Amino acid sequence: MAVSDEALLAGVAAGDTDATAAFVRRYQRRVYGLALSVVGDPGLAEDVAQDAFVRAWRHAGSYDPRRGKASTWLLTITRNAAIDVLRMRRDLPTEPALLVDQLVAGGDQADRVADSDRVRAALAELSRDHAVAVVLSAYFGLTAREISDRMAIPLGTAKSRIRTGLHRLRRMLEVTND
Amino acid sequence: MTEPYECDEVADLLAEVATGAATGPDRDRVARHLADCERCRRELDELSWVADEVLLAAPEHEPPARFESMVLERIAAEDRSPGRRPRRARLLLAAAAAVLIAAVSAGSVWWGTASDRELAAGYRDALDVADGRYFAAAPLNDDDDVQVGHVFLYDGSPSWLFVVLDPAPEPGTYDIVVTVNGAERSAGRCVVTGTGCAAGDTLAGKIADVDSVRLLGPDGTEVRADLSRPNR
Repeated sequence: MAVSDEALLAGVAAGDTDATAAFVRRYQRRVYGLALSVVGDPGLAEDVAQDAFVRAWRHAGSYDPRRGKASTWLLTITRNAAIDVLRMRRDLPTEPALLVDQLVAGGDQADRVADSDRVRAALAELSRDHAVAVVLSAYFGLTAREISDRMAIPLGTAKSRIRTGLHRLRRMLEVTND
Repeated sequence: MTEPYECDEVADLLAEVATGAATGPDRDRVARHLADCERCRRELDELSWVADEVLLAAPEHEPPARFESMVLERIAAEDRSPGRRPRRARLLLAAAAAVLIAAVSAGSVWWGTASDRELAAGYRDALDVADGRYFAAAPLNDDDDVQVGHVFLYDGSPSWLFVVLDPAPEPGTYDIVVTVNGAERSAGRCVVTGTGCAAGDTLAGKIADVDSVRLLGPDGTEVRADLSRPNR
């Protein structure tokens, strides 16, 4: 039987090198994939992905399974590490609308997991405007003000698109979660 | 009590806090509002869950060769770096603090281990003693950023904090001040005997919301532990 994510993380927190290696092996494709989606450059993405695992190792003891899955905890750390790199650049390396297309399409990996497909299906149901606003905020860390400037829309519209997009996703994801 | 207009005012900001995009001042505004508003706290929890789930849609990619070994080498290098207490010792310190408090309330608690695997299991057992979720530990540093002690926090029923100051920069009594979501509260005193002191107190709320712990000593002496969350 496969060791649970939570048990692996407890091992990482305790300094168990076998658990740490297993944790990296389990999530490296996801972490590197997210880093690449955000920073757009394979070399930078590798640095970001390595940094994300080091940060996860450093903070494994504070992971709380009641507040979210290990996968989303780790991907949030990865996203933040990628945004730290992104903020040193002048523009986004990936066109957000193209990223939305990639997210919805999901690639061709045979072993992709059900939770990804569930989120992709929900994203595909959103209007393009709402999906782009959510992706700009959640993946690239842009504020509503920055989204408003980038998309040439009023600030109130940018705020509303992020908020409405998240609310609609929540409704769809909660239904599929039942 | 929270006025309704305040909820309207932070409603759009909640989404940006949930995605991690909000600026520091906006985050601070939301934190102040959340301190008194259960409804918005729930809303933020739900939006944060969605924002985190969205990241699961990122396509997977095979990393370059040797990626796994490079990560493990970096972790090993950091664990060996000067001034860094080995992971195992840090965990034991946190566990020791947990046992100290739990022993008072539960009567008897065991902690002992022969291997890292047992340590992980023991860590979980110690958490179970008081319905705990996790420990956090952070160094207490003086004005020159020199470590002079530790803060331990335990998220459970009850949650608590425990401070160890050794060596104390100055003899005397230190007031313990905890900042939670931007709001300060007193958490007792630490009276130096010999070279240091230790003191604990229960905490209301989640320890993940603790921003910092400060010890205010005689003649303006201050030592501080920063507990800002790593992933937000």
